Formats: sequence, structure tokens, C-alpha cells
Amino acid sequence: MTPTVPELLLGNFLCLMDPPPPESSGDFLQSRIGVTGMISLLCAQEAERGIAARVWENGAIRDLLRRAAPTYGAAFAEAATDEDTDLSLAAMDRANADLRRALIDLHIAVEAARDAALDTEIRGLYVRMADARRLDLPPLPAG
Amino acid sequence: MTLQSQLEAYLTRIWETPARVTMIARIPGGASRETYRFDVEVGGETRGLILRRDPVGSLIDTERKLEFAAFRSFHGSGLPVPEGVALEEQGAELERPFFIMGRIDGGKAQSPFTVAPYGEHARTIGEQFYGHLGTIAAADPATLPIAQAAETPAPDACWKRELDYWEGVIDADEEHPQPIVRACIRRLRASPPPAARKLSVVHGDYRTGNFMHDGQGRIIALLDWEMAHIGDPLEDLGWAMEPLWCYGETDRVSGMLPREEAIAIWEAASGLTVDPAAFAWWELFASVKGQAIWTSSAKEFRAGGFKDPVLGLSGWYTARRQDVILADRLAALEALA
Repeated sequence: MTPTVPELLLGNFLCLMDPPPPESSGDFLQSRIGVTGMISLLCAQEAERGIAARVWENGAIRDLLRRAAPTYGAAFAEAATDEDTDLSLAAMDRANADLRRALIDLHIAVEAARDAALDTEIRGLYVRMADARRLDLPPLPAG
Repeated sequence: MTLQSQLEAYLTRIWETPARVTMIARIPGGASRETYRFDVEVGGETRGLILRRDPVGSLIDTERKLEFAAFRSFHGSGLPVPEGVALEEQGAELERPFFIMGRIDGGKAQSPFTVAPYGEHARTIGEQFYGHLGTIAAADPATLPIAQAAETPAPDACWKRELDYWEGVIDADEEHPQPIVRACIRRLRASPPPAARKLSVVHGDYRTGNFMHDGQGRIIALLDWEMAHIGDPLEDLGWAMEPLWCYGETDRVSGMLPREEAIAIWEAASGLTVDPAAFAWWELFASVKGQAIWTSSAKEFRAGGFKDPVLGLSGWYTARRQDVILADRLAALEALA
């Protein structure tokens, strides 16, 4: 998933490193600092939850691909053969990209076959995937 | 040269009289263009203006000519829309394309990420917000300046043109596979909406945060027309009601009004009726369009050397919120027949 936490935190540093031109001080600079703070806060959430979310998602997609393979083709089982041994966010995301591509292909095949049961299961998986990656912004008061 | 001196040189040249720029300050927001407020003294008078200049990297790729034409289409029409003052597509003294518009002072725009952004004025603002949108929908685009700048699609081609465009944006800018939005796009293509009942000017980004109010319950400026085009007016209504724009609220669209009331106000102002099936298509499309914008944001964040935190936040946090909305919408659709 992009951008990554290292990119976001590097960006927080870079965007405040250079002195702004006079016309970009004041409200604009204050707003920019506020956004960098928000990013830092959300990066803390990602650091705490991100690995667990990816371990779960990669496992759930592999399980689905393996179960679908007898009906939809051995290629889906082959796409699910690896396991996550490197638990860094970067390695997990690389594996996740391959798994998501296989999931997209499987869903297209399921739709073409009018397989309502598996289509419903995949749509339910999407809900859980999105929820697992959710980031929670604290309520901000209206200005 | 400073931006101030560039502006002075430009305005002095086009007005053929000395212009002095003061109080220039960049405004937060407006992520698709750099936005500055400034005063200009010319001929013994002082006037407040806004400069919108193309950035090096942007949230969305848009035609400033269209945005300028949209301002010219609705300024003076009874809607609170600023005046378009000058357009330079080649950049002139400011090096990048830009336009200048009139400034409306005394208002504020709320972030869609705030809780109850309009407080006790939510209903009053909601009535104006959906009423103004209906008024935009009621206008005949063929009679407006925007018709000289925007393509006019056939009524039955509106949906496909928009979906093709935004899917193309995802195809071009996606850096990590997105199964949820891809499934939504397939569903949209499998069940297209009926032809538009009327062609209208579509604002393109009509939502919480893109207008100013005076803090007393009155909308004083409709802004951010950079995605304006001609199309199906239900597109704007679906975008305005996108759940992303009403943080934490489930019973009021846009953080303003119950959904059915908002639709009724829009129908009364536009003279149109909302076909629920067609509107369901445009609501799902709105969430797809949102994800396309956040996908571009992520790519631009990287391309720009990570220096714009608004692009980073949009391509990451907002994209994930959009995925939650898309997944919920997709799960609520009927099972395959």
C-alpha cells in the first residue's frame, strides 16, 4: 500500500526543512505543520497495527485462493504457496501486491462464472480487508 | 523575482496602468492548485483578488480554462460565485499557468474531517447547499461560457465518459493493486445507469469544504470548480452525498441534513426528479472517483519527492477511508444473478 510509513515520515521532515517564501508563511505554514502532525499520529497507528493487518490479509487471501483452486485453476493455488517469513512492512507489502493481483483475477473469474456464493464471500473479505487497514483520525473540532 | 513582483509586472502590463500588490499570502487547501490571496492597488483603488496557479505536482490534473469558464458561467447569476478576472494558460510573467479571480472576504471553509462542521447552522447551510446545487443543475449549459470550453456529451454517454476517465487515472497511477475499487468498476460497467434526463454543468467537486460560509448560516462563495464539466447532474449530487464528506455522521448527508430532505431540496431547485436506480449508480461512481483521486495523490506524493504532506495524507489515510466506503457499498449490492 502506498505511500509507506518511511516515505510519509521522510516527507514530514523534507517539507519543513526549507524555509518557505514569505507568502507561504502564516496560515499556510501553520496548516502544513498541522498536516505533518496528523501524519505522525497516524503513522504511530500504522506502526502498531500494520504488521498484524498484513499478516491477517495475506493469510486470508492465500486461504481463499487455495480453496478456489480446484474449481478455478491450479494457478490460484500456486499464487498462494509462499508464506510470510520476513515480517517487515516492505516485504509484507511486496507479497500482498502479488496476492491482491491473484485475488483480482479470481474475482473476475468468479463473476464470469456467476458464482454468487463465492462472489459474496469475496465481497465480505473486502469489507474485512478495508477495516483491518483503517486508520482512525481523532475527532477534530470545527474551526 | 518574487511572486509579488511577478504579479505586479503582469497586472501592470494587462491593465496598462501601474499596479501595486500587497498582503500576498498563500492559502491552505486548494491542493490541485497553489492558491494565494492578495490586494492590488490600481488607479487609487484597492481590490481583493485570488491567484490560482498550477503547481509542480497536483492532486488532480485539471484544465484551468474550464475552471475559469465555470466562474464566468455563474458569476452574477444569483449564485455566490466569484468573478473570473484573468486567465493565462501559458503562464506569462508567473511561469506556470494561472488565473485570477475576485475574492470574497468574511467567510470560512470547513474541513470535511471535522465533527459537526456547521454546528447550529447545519440545516440552514444544508438548505442553501443543496438548493444552490439544484440551481446549477437547472441551468442550460449551452447558453453559458463553459460550453465554449467543455465538451458536450450525449446524454447516454455521460456515465461512460466519466467512468472511462477515472478508471484510466487508476490504471495510470496505481502503485499497489486495489481489488476493491476494481470490483466496483466492474459492477458499474455491468449495470450502467439510464441516460441523463438533462445535461447540466457539473461542478465536479461540490462538497463540504469547497464553499465558504459567514459563520451565521449563509453560504457566501461556491469554490473549487477545477473539475467542472458538462454531464449528468446526478454526478454532482452523488459526490456531494459521498460519506467521506460527513465525518462520523450517518444520519445527515454532508453533515447538514437528512438524505431525503436534501434530495427534496435539490429536486425543487433543479426541477428534476431523482431516479433511485440511476442515483445508486452515481453514488457508487462517486466513491470510485474519490479512490482514483487518492491514487493519483499517492503517485504525485512520490513524484514530488514527498514534500507535499497533503498529497501524502490523501494518498494514504483518505484512500483507506475510501476503501472502507467502497467495500461497504459493494457488499450491500445484490448478489450475482
